[in-house]
Amino acid sequence: MRMVFLATTFLFGAAAFAAPAHAAGSLNLVCAADVKWCELMVRLFEKDHDIKLNMVRMSSGEAYARLRAEARNPKTDIWWAGTGDPHLQAAEDKLTLEYKSPLLSELQPWAQKQAEVSGFRTVGIYSGALGWGYNTDILQKKGLAAPACWKDLTSDKYKGEIQIANPNSSGTAYTALATLVQIMGEDQAFDYLKALNTNVTQYTKSGSAPVKAAARGETGIGIVFMHDAVAMTVQGFPVKTVAPCEGTGFEVGSMSIVKGAKNLENAKVFYDWALSAEVQSHAKEADSFQLPSNTKAEVPPDAPKLSEIKLIDYDFAKYGNSDTRKELLGRWDREIGAQAN
Amino acid sequence: MDRHVRRLDGALLLGLAAFVILPWYGLESGIWNGSWFASYPFDPSVAPGAAQLFLRPGFWLLPAALALLSVLVLRFTPSGEKRGTRLAFAGGFGIAALVTEGLAVGYQGWNWSGWERLFGALGDGQPPFGLGAYTLALAFLLTLAFGLAEKGRLRGDAFVLGAITIVVALVSAFVLYPLLSLFIGAFQAIDGTFDASSFTANLLDPSIWSLGCATGSGACGIAWRTVFLALVTGLGTTVLGLSFALVATRTRFPFKRLLRLLTILPIITPPFVIGLALILLFGRSGVVTQWLAVVTGFDGGRWLYGLPGIWIAQMLSFTPIAFMVLIGVVEGISPSMEEAAQTMRANRWRTFWTVSFPLMRPGLANAFLVGFIESMADFGNPLVLGGSHGVLSTEIFFAVVGAQNDPARAAVLALVLLAFTLSAFFAQRLWLKGKSYTTVTGKGDAGRPIDLDPKLRLAAYGMVVPWIVFTVTVYAMILVGSVVRTLGLDNTLTLDHYAKAFSVSYGENGIQWTGVAWNSFWTTMEIALASAPLTAALGLLSAYLLVRQRFAGREALEFLLMLSFAIPGTVIGVSYVLAFNLPPVEMTGTALILVICFVFRNMPVGVRGGIAAMSQLDKSLDEASLTLGANSFTTLRRVVLPLLKPAITSALVYSFVRSITSISAVIFLVSAEYNMATSYIVGLTENGEYGVAIAYSATLIMVMVAVIALFQLVVGKRTLRREAQTAAPATLAPASALAQETPA
Amino acid sequence: MTVPLKPGSVRFENVQKRFGAVTAIHDLSLEIEPGTLVTLLGPSGCGKTTTLRMLAGLEQPSAGRILIGGRDVTALPANERDVSMVFQSYALFPHMSIADNVAYGLRSGGLSRRAAHERAEEGLALVGLNGFGERLPSELSGGQQQRVAVARALVLEPQVLLLDEPLSNLDTRLRRHVRTEIRELQQRLGFTAVYVTHDQDEALAVSDRIVVMKDGIMAQAGSPRELYEQPASAFIADFIGEANVVPCDVVRTSDGRLGARLGGMVHAIRADSAREGAAKLAIRPNAMFLGDRRPGFLDGRVLSAAYLGDHIEYEVETAFGRLFITDPAVETVRPIASEVGVGLHDRGVALIPA
Repeated sequence: MRMVFLATTFLFGAAAFAAPAHAAGSLNLVCAADVKWCELMVRLFEKDHDIKLNMVRMSSGEAYARLRAEARNPKTDIWWAGTGDPHLQAAEDKLTLEYKSPLLSELQPWAQKQAEVSGFRTVGIYSGALGWGYNTDILQKKGLAAPACWKDLTSDKYKGEIQIANPNSSGTAYTALATLVQIMGEDQAFDYLKALNTNVTQYTKSGSAPVKAAARGETGIGIVFMHDAVAMTVQGFPVKTVAPCEGTGFEVGSMSIVKGAKNLENAKVFYDWALSAEVQSHAKEADSFQLPSNTKAEVPPDAPKLSEIKLIDYDFAKYGNSDTRKELLGRWDREIGAQAN
Repeated sequence: MDRHVRRLDGALLLGLAAFVILPWYGLESGIWNGSWFASYPFDPSVAPGAAQLFLRPGFWLLPAALALLSVLVLRFTPSGEKRGTRLAFAGGFGIAALVTEGLAVGYQGWNWSGWERLFGALGDGQPPFGLGAYTLALAFLLTLAFGLAEKGRLRGDAFVLGAITIVVALVSAFVLYPLLSLFIGAFQAIDGTFDASSFTANLLDPSIWSLGCATGSGACGIAWRTVFLALVTGLGTTVLGLSFALVATRTRFPFKRLLRLLTILPIITPPFVIGLALILLFGRSGVVTQWLAVVTGFDGGRWLYGLPGIWIAQMLSFTPIAFMVLIGVVEGISPSMEEAAQTMRANRWRTFWTVSFPLMRPGLANAFLVGFIESMADFGNPLVLGGSHGVLSTEIFFAVVGAQNDPARAAVLALVLLAFTLSAFFAQRLWLKGKSYTTVTGKGDAGRPIDLDPKLRLAAYGMVVPWIVFTVTVYAMILVGSVVRTLGLDNTLTLDHYAKAFSVSYGENGIQWTGVAWNSFWTTMEIALASAPLTAALGLLSAYLLVRQRFAGREALEFLLMLSFAIPGTVIGVSYVLAFNLPPVEMTGTALILVICFVFRNMPVGVRGGIAAMSQLDKSLDEASLTLGANSFTTLRRVVLPLLKPAITSALVYSFVRSITSISAVIFLVSAEYNMATSYIVGLTENGEYGVAIAYSATLIMVMVAVIALFQLVVGKRTLRREAQTAAPATLAPASALAQETPA
Repeated sequence: MTVPLKPGSVRFENVQKRFGAVTAIHDLSLEIEPGTLVTLLGPSGCGKTTTLRMLAGLEQPSAGRILIGGRDVTALPANERDVSMVFQSYALFPHMSIADNVAYGLRSGGLSRRAAHERAEEGLALVGLNGFGERLPSELSGGQQQRVAVARALVLEPQVLLLDEPLSNLDTRLRRHVRTEIRELQQRLGFTAVYVTHDQDEALAVSDRIVVMKDGIMAQAGSPRELYEQPASAFIADFIGEANVVPCDVVRTSDGRLGARLGGMVHAIRADSAREGAAKLAIRPNAMFLGDRRPGFLDGRVLSAAYLGDHIEYEVETAFGRLFITDPAVETVRPIASEVGVGLHDRGVALIPA
């Protein structure tokens, strides 16, 4: 009898823990932006709403993986930020929900296009172009000129000074891969990457890590989104941002509501709130210098101007497609990854 | 006889309540929320099992219902051996029915395609199990145990039988089942269909097995890199650990206390912190690298990232473990053996190499294998220092979370890693079988260990002193790094990092925990505090069963319990995600999954410690208590547990500390609501916020030191009155428990 | 004071015990009368402790039934049997005071703390340890600990008290004293006791009945006197007291009675059951004496002699093998290699059926 009692106590105790706390007003957010920005969003949202926002930060790849793993029983309600490809892929996999925000008309064309391409399962919230940041101290010390074009990077001079993320784990690096393929053509792009490979010291896991390494002097040049490089400069590191002369690709940071979200109403509240000009204007407080998608939002003065950058006509539909992606990544693994330093 | 009836009534009532009253399936909002009560009992999402039969209609619950019914009928038949057999059968059948039903029916119907053909498609599926289902499972387990007791098994001891049944059920559910899911996951496509082609493709992937570096055509596969690293780490830590043990026992080294203290540090250090400190020291812009560049003009480069860096970090992290294993071995060599050798004209050099060293050999092999397994399982250091190529444990992580997102690949990699660690584990068990040369008998073994030969002493000092200097520097780095703005670039002193992590402000609503770290900090503390007592309880209960009871399958159970030591954390993490995200058991995203993960990960140490402590307790104490009319439970509570206090404390401290510092399994299991300190710090590191990361780590280390000191204080006061028995100091206990983790 | 006891009987019916492939007890049947002290005696590994532990409920028989006080307890756990046990190591709980130790069983039985401690104090008084209640076991001498263990078992008023080699941790002098105490207590209170020992002196001194066990089989059971004077086998003869076992022929003497012929010597025997033919004779060492060679004596040659104060121990080579003889005649020591004659006393010679 005593044993039965003990066992029961244990079980109820366990049940107390097991209960996932979906309090009446709560929302589970996967945030794929910089942790600072994520935390800022949580603070702002909870100030404006009586909803408990549970945030977990992940890279966009992780976030997509999480959604896929939970597909049959989602624990996440909304996925905010992170590069657009995985959002599109999730839309393609029908992991996310169709939703047209009343604010859609206020958005930049590229943000609306993102929504249309996905059948309104995702929407653009910010955008940023690919480029690199270099550590001025290191390049000066070694007497090197700043690289201005993609082709400069393969020069022997920069041997051991370049970092870029591994496209298998980072959306940024995949954007770079897809950009190069679109600029040069696939075979030439891989020849280029092979040449670049001899200069690359490390393929990092996280997309923005290369420029952070450059900022701290761990490497000379980090190939990243330009706004990440700007953020380093603003924080006082000796980093300068470069837009490649041949032209460059860009990302559309996106947001999607998870299909089967347990807190759907709250998710929509967050969705509309996050698209508003007022909220998007706060991004710079978190050292985030992306271009906001709301046309009325204030653009941070330090942000790289898309107008001054030679942008390619990035084919999101093609390079966001999972087959293309798998093929490119597979080739990268065979030809580049296996030869990495 | 009536106590037999009473306990059966208890199990029966529990089962009936589970089936007729409690909500059968998991509630979205949790049982304590109370909102479910509004639609109770006829809404299928909250209805009890009995109602589910007709509402859903959940005819798959029928076998379990029949089992419960037969228990009810048996209750009114006369007791005896025959009824015992029947009860045991009914309980066993009930459990089997629940397990089969749970695994067979998923959200959308049959989980197994074969069953659809056999029974036709289901109109409806089922959500994950809830309180009702779990309680009924428990009731069936108890019925099984009580039935066996009535049969007279194990001297008719219902408590012991119940405990065995429950421990076996828990281990099956939380160690075996996840591993099985992992194995199945390796053959599954993302939508759950069987797909053997990806398994073979993954298994034969050249990026795992390539021997390119040997033939000069590119890099080697991660499997070989991992094995190579583990071999080098195992060798290195064994040599260093032996030097330590020799210095500590056979020299007049002046800083022995410091030595012992330093060996505790890595246990309370989150695993990647050493990697971080190494970056601050030897990274390209690290303090030492910069200084070298200034003095010699030599650009240090990035040699640290990759195997060399990981190796150094592992040497720092795991040498203490080798030391813990070897100090016992070195102390275990009877001085009289060495004295005997000396009386036979052998000098110290010869004595060491012909007598002492051969006697240490099994211990050395043990230390090597422990280092090998630890290195294989290490996740934190490779994560921070890995460079372009990882090792198996990090590759598993990136296979799951990376853009490539391939759970099948993760499962295959996990199986490869598991195969390596298990081989090492088996090798260790085989090697140690009957090979302990411990020569101290405990009786009249006078004599003092002889001092080390001067040449050897020099060699040992040569290894130990640099290690100490190095370790002290690394920890100094952690302290310094947390109080300067950006180490190397801007060395102004600041408390900003601490303020950012742990600031507190007083607003109109009282105290506001404004620091970014508070959330994960409190979660970590809660979960560590919840899992520590459970770990200790389950570990010691298992130890009690293993040492004091003789039952069929005892050795298999012991092996299973020890096995989870050889399972790397990343493997556990992946397997838990695969096993517990879908019905019948859904726990991902809850605090419970973290608690359970810690309990079963840390339990081997509790079991080891418990076995060691209990083996020293005269068995006749238990028997005396039994013959004096106390039952096994009272005996355990009033006689065994009070005498095991030191073992309990060390199990508590160990599991508390490990819950705070572990990262490998946790990183898969944290969720928006329950984020742990270590995974939060890893996030900070990824974003290059080294200052805050290090400040947070330093705080964690302080907290753990404080907690250990507190335990020490409490236990120190409670040692047995006036008794000669010496209680092991709590601070050292977890460390030695760790060393005992492997059968010594 | 006395503790009121209700002595119970014990019955083993065809009990077997196997440990894996090893059979520890083969088919043991045994009956113990209420109020008697029965000793299980035998060399180590003979199964005596296993038998006791099965009775206590600490081991489970592989086959057969065990009854205590007429009730079948075979499937009952130890704590539900009305027996209590004194352990070889005493098994006093080191973390409890003496009083708590003695009160432990009473508390387990549901007695209030106060009542249990009163009874415990009475129990301690019974073994002469009143006033020691507050101490810890480690603060008592071995003999005192032993008495606490007895008191702890007795206060439960068990139907049967089990004692597992209770004296083996005491020194020789104390052992004699304590065994007398135990016997006296048992006779005074009249409880049933089962006592395990490997020491035949101890067994002879305390028992109403002795059960000698060998290799898992009951070799012989009987009163101490029966066992000593009428051993059923050479093993018993040698185990209960020492004996020289020599082959002999049972012959009918001229007066019509039976005698054992040993070489040229015929020794009168009293055993009624003896039959003519080959048999064995168990001769106690002190049943022989040395003299000069003469008819009616056995011819022998001294191999060794050791002076032990009150007697001399000889080894003598004879036609029937080496004989071990203790001779109280300490005045004359027979030198080694001297020729002697060995004579037999009347007592201390037993015929063993072949």
